[in-house]
Amino acid sequence: MEEYYLSCEDSLEGVFTGIYDAYLKKKPHEQIHICVGEEENYRLFAVYETCLPDAKKTASVARTIVREFGQEAYLSICRALASREMDKGEAVYKAVVAGFAMKNKKELMGNLSNPYIHRVFEMARFTANEAHYHVEFLRFKELENGILYAVIGPKNNVLTFIVPHFADRLPLENFVIHDEKRDIYAVHPAKKDWYLVCGDEETGRPERRCSDGERKYSELFSCFFHTIAIKERESYGLQRNMLPIRYREYMTEFQENEKYKK
Amino acid sequence: MENGLTVRKKEEMSIMEKLRILSDAAKYDVSCSSSGVGRRGDGTGIGNTLAAGICHSFGADGRCISLLKILFTNECIYDCKYCINRKSNDVPRASFTPDEICELTIQFYRRNYIEGLFLSSGILYSPTYTMELIYEAVYKLRTLHRFQGYIHVKAIPGADPELVRQMGLLADRMSVNLELPTAEGLKQLAPNKHRRNILWPMRQIQQGITQNKNEIMVYKHAPSFVPAGQSTQMIVGATPESDYQIMTVAENLYKKFDLKRVYYSAFVSVNVDKSLPALPEGPPLLREHRLYQADWLLRFYGFEAGELLSEKKPNFNVLLDPKADWALRHLEQFPVEINRADYRIILRVPGIGVKSAQRIVRARRNGNLGFDDLKKIGVVLKRALYFITCNGRMMYPTKLEENYIARNLIDRKEKLPFDRDGMTYRQLSLFDDAACQW
Ligand code: SF4
Repeated sequence: MEEYYLSCEDSLEGVFTGIYDAYLKKKPHEQIHICVGEEENYRLFAVYETCLPDAKKTASVARTIVREFGQEAYLSICRALASREMDKGEAVYKAVVAGFAMKNKKELMGNLSNPYIHRVFEMARFTANEAHYHVEFLRFKELENGILYAVIGPKNNVLTFIVPHFADRLPLENFVIHDEKRDIYAVHPAKKDWYLVCGDEETGRPERRCSDGERKYSELFSCFFHTIAIKERESYGLQRNMLPIRYREYMTEFQENEKYKK
Repeated sequence: MENGLTVRKKEEMSIMEKLRILSDAAKYDVSCSSSGVGRRGDGTGIGNTLAAGICHSFGADGRCISLLKILFTNECIYDCKYCINRKSNDVPRASFTPDEICELTIQFYRRNYIEGLFLSSGILYSPTYTMELIYEAVYKLRTLHRFQGYIHVKAIPGADPELVRQMGLLADRMSVNLELPTAEGLKQLAPNKHRRNILWPMRQIQQGITQNKNEIMVYKHAPSFVPAGQSTQMIVGATPESDYQIMTVAENLYKKFDLKRVYYSAFVSVNVDKSLPALPEGPPLLREHRLYQADWLLRFYGFEAGELLSEKKPNFNVLLDPKADWALRHLEQFPVEINRADYRIILRVPGIGVKSAQRIVRARRNGNLGFDDLKKIGVVLKRALYFITCNGRMMYPTKLEENYIARNLIDRKEKLPFDRDGMTYRQLSLFDDAACQW
């Protein structure tokens, strides 16, 4: 029995194209697998094919997913594909296959006893949780030129999930969010639509010197952060559970911490 | 009262010094929630709100920091015995100006430090005078700065009702603190306050909200009044009320005053006063935690206070959470069959939360669920296994006997400060997976 491995780019486009090509093969789905990025364990008798991302195929798969399984499933799939987990392509592909066998296709994400759907659910939840943490803990600094500038280092690719929130809340601000792990920037010019820029394409990296106001307000906030805690209830363990350590290097109140520690 | 010297000192006080004093004085108010209203920005200013609320940081005590929680002033003409700002205390006093409050709110908000403002105040000259100051600050914030983020304002009992009404058209949430669970407690510790004066603005706000809902049904663009609802807070452990009394009061507040949240604040002893308990072991955090757990059961799990406690059993079990405690006293209602039982019954099983119960009801439409599936769904089987069957079978044969199960349910790791369910601390805790909106 021949096994096919479709190797896709690590992106929504990549995996959707892979799914399209997998269906084109008209072979049993158990024989076809989607892998994202470099496949590490080459199997001797398997056929390896590379799928190049294709906008038309992507759009077609996206339309089908929304039409058949509804918006909820589509969103979960998008989130799962932003995951750092490498089995995401296979999980999404097989979840879609499983979905077509369901009586009520709109219930796709409710069918958690299917292992692939459960896997998609898990990865989507991880991405959504991490996006939420970033909405909470991301900090802007005001640069000399007035631009608000934030740096994040997420495990999953959450940037596109969080920018709309900030664009809605800060419509009159020029702001930039930089994912330093992937070297991508989200750029929001005041009163305009935001867009993504990759690190190497970027021209004129904004000067990272902070404004005078920045020092003032970051000190004020750090002061607030320290006085608002109730000494009699102090609990660093609880604080650590609620606010994982890995976020703190990006957070103003912890960067300023040293000055306020007695 | 004020000589020239103190007046000059006040003018020279830096904004940093004021912030230090007025956040320090505000920190005993528990609420920091920014939930209850979802509102997109209109593109002309700054800010929006999320129905679930957003925490932005967690302080050294592990409490969520969501709003810029400050007092307008810590001057006060009253002398509540439990309060650090009482008239008879010799503490440094400060007052913000409305512009300073706007500046701090906007500048913190832009940097994503906060979701908005929680403004409370000591009483300067009179309740109405104080309320006017607060109103001015919030009015400027909403109009001049076009701030559309979250604003929570204290309604000061005794202030002109018209001011309270105006305030409600600008604020997202308002609260009047009950302070102590009973009128007797209040009389003992807050001689200048009266239960009636506290309940009155609460009723006014409730009626304002109801009326506003009707208006909005008729005219879509009617300005909204306290859209995130009202909350209140009780101090626990300063006076001798039982948990049963406290829960009954809370239940009444939810049912008769439509409150969105009741907060419980473990009494922190800041003043030496012979009418206050000494509390050598620190604030009663365990008790506070049990009250929050029970509060959750009232609001989301369909329990009534009378099911959890009674005159005969007036206080919560120290070792078991109220839900497990209830289940153990009602073993005759268990085990329940996961694949058939009603949602409301499943909600009552220890180890199954709101999200898991919803997922169960949904997932079982696609076929019978087994214990493996429950685990995937997020059920804590270690706790649930005594109370459920899947397809008629228990997970493994086990004694259905109260003491035996109790011993297994007691969570030895449940130690202060009870972070595991996060109920007390993270406003999103209802969702075991933080958020569905991203
Ligand atoms: S009214 Fe009572 S509780 Fe409020 S600030 Fe004054 S003394 Fe404190």
